[in-house]
Parts: sequence; C-alpha cells; structure tokens
Amino acid sequence: MEFGAESWMPAMVGISIVREIGPVITALICAGRVGSGIGAELGSMKVTEQIDAMEASGTNPFKYLVVTRIAAATIMLPILVIFADTVALFGSYLVEHNKGDVSFQLYFNQVFENLEFGDIIPATSKSFFFGFAIGLVGCYKGYNSTKGTAGVGLAANSAVVLASMILFIIDFLAVLVASIFYEL
Amino acid sequence: MKTPSLSFDKPVPTDTLKQKVVVELINVHKKFGDNEVLKGFNLKLYDGENLIVVGKSGSGKSVMIKCLIGLIPVDQGQLVVFGKDMSKLEKDDLNEIRTEIGFLFQGSALYDSMTVRENLEFPMRRHKNKLTEGYDSEQLIDEALESVGLAHTKDMMPAELSGGMKRRVALARTLILKPKVILYDEPTSGLDPITAKEIIFLIMEIQKKLKTGKDI
Repeated sequence: MEFGAESWMPAMVGISIVREIGPVITALICAGRVGSGIGAELGSMKVTEQIDAMEASGTNPFKYLVVTRIAAATIMLPILVIFADTVALFGSYLVEHNKGDVSFQLYFNQVFENLEFGDIIPATSKSFFFGFAIGLVGCYKGYNSTKGTAGVGLAANSAVVLASMILFIIDFLAVLVASIFYEL
Repeated sequence: MKTPSLSFDKPVPTDTLKQKVVVELINVHKKFGDNEVLKGFNLKLYDGENLIVVGKSGSGKSVMIKCLIGLIPVDQGQLVVFGKDMSKLEKDDLNEIRTEIGFLFQGSALYDSMTVRENLEFPMRRHKNKLTEGYDSEQLIDEALESVGLAHTKDMMPAELSGGMKRRVALARTLILKPKVILYDEPTSGLDPITAKEIIFLIMEIQKKLKTGKDI
C-alpha cells in the first residue's frame, strides 16, 4: 500500500532518531557492552582482592576505580549518541536515495528544517543521565560483588538488566520534563 | 639459584628489643552472622619483632590481619597502630598510616590490567610525599624487583607469571614504599615446597635488611 508520504520521511526519520532512537538504542547497547564490562572488571578485582590491595596501600579505590568510570561514561555517552545519530541519519539517507532518488542536500535540508531545540537539547541532556546511570550501576554491582567467580558473572548480568531498566525510567522522566519546557 | 637452608632464629627475648609497641589489638571481637571469628583477641607487635600467628583454616587469621589494617571493621575492641586508634581515624589519616604498613595478600592481588612495572609504580604515584625528593621511580622499581630476584619481569603482565613469581612481585610492591611493618597473610599458601622455602627466606632477608616488624 502506498501513502505517498515519502516527502515526510526525512523529517520523521530525523526527529525520531534524534529524539528517541539514537539516545535510547545507543544507551541500551552501552548498558550491555560498557555496563557489563565495568561490572565484570570491578567484580573480578573485588574477588581477587585487588580492591583490598589498593585500599591497603592507602589509595582510595572509590576515587580511582569508581569516579573515573562514572565520569568517563557520563562524558562519552552523549558523544557516542551524536556519532550514532549521524551514522543513522546517513544510513537512512542511503536507503532513501536508493529507493526514491533523493539528493543528499534535499534530504538533509528537510531533516534539519524540521529539527528544533526542543528535539536536540532534551535528547542530549538525557544522554548524560544515561551515561551516568550506566557507569553508576556497573560500578555498584561490580564493587559489591561477592561469592567468587559466580558473583562476577552475576554482577555483570545484573548490571546490564538494572541499567537497562533505569534507562527506560530516565527516558520516561526526560520526556515528562521536556514536555514542560518545550512543546513536543 | 641455590636456595639456602631455612633456619629460624630463636625468638628474641622482648627485653632485648626496643620496647616500642607498633601494633596492638585489644579485646577485638568480630562476628559474621552467628559465627564469632574473633572473641576478645589481644596481640602486641614490637618494633623489629617477628610475630607468627598460627591457627587452623577458618580460625580467623586473615580476618584478624584485615581488621588490623582497617579493611574489615571490628565489632568491638581497639586497634592501635603506631600509637593511633585506627577506629577513630579519618579516612585520610587512615590512608597515611596504611602507607607505613605493607600487606602481602594470600593470593598476591596484583592489578591484572597493569604490567609488573605499573603495579610497582602505582603506590609510588599515589604517595609521592612518602618518597625522598627527586626520587627516580625507575631506579626504585629496579631495586625492588632485584631484591626479589625478578628484575627481568618488569614489562610482563601478571597473567604471564607463575604463582611464586606473582608472590615475589607482590612482595616487591609491598616494599616499594619502605613500610615500617609488613603483614603477610599466609605468604606460602598454594606454593610448592621449594618456592615456599624461597619466599620464606626472602621474607627473612627483607626483614633483616629493612628491620621491619612483621606479622604472619
């Protein structure tokens, strides 16, 4: 069935990618990749007494291991989201171009004409919170893991599950807050 | 390398030692659920003294040694290290005291994402104030590794080392800040008898060289 809505495609794709798909999908992938990595690494350091060794040498392991990871996740996730948005928009252009012979300039003109601050600012802001949550949950689960190697697996697993759930809650809250300031 | 025969000196009568108590545990209690591991434990370690705590598995030796350095909080009792009550210290002061105490973990606890050099460099970077001004970190690392006979492992990762080598590197890491007291938590557990003998000999050599108090 044809709706003849091809001309709307760049705008629809642009808005949906920038507002929701880009940040949420990137954050979910990072929760799986980064969250589990942090959980497993810290968990293994915990069970092999490396964290205790750090503490025994007079170093604050919380500052060295936790703060740095949370800061890195918080700063890097928005950058990754921008990168993912760019790749996604370019990918959608390639599909459009293949199907409907839309020019590069026309496609991106339509994308940016329909994007507003109300789309970009809340999406970028929530990416910081996504990154913070992924780092925090991964560190918490890893730092508090017990029961040897089984505990490391559990820490990595539960870091991904909990972080993913928290991401949806943050996303829900972000939409609520954004709707107060911007007409969505 | 020829391994010298192991010999323990007769215990030195305490009246011949400097009577300065460096570590003291007074009536320490520690419970994990219903299992009371330490029941009114008392211990005194004098400056330069070798003290060996012996007990069967699960009797609380590791718990006691971890309580001593503040890794496990005690339920009741006093831990006095260099005249300071550990339970009353702020985090920064506690960390300062910890730099005076070396701790060799049962499982070596080397940082497995770092090379041997970085493992030894780590405490130095964190506690530059403990080292003499204008120190050469590379030289200190070389000296520490040479003292445990592993100068060639500097750029290796912990995963590439054998159990005995890991224990030696961990010992070198413990020595790098020149602690006044060294705590060894079963330093020969899991090692073959020959390596265990070498490690014990090394520990005694280090004690003679640095004149540290030690608690095993």
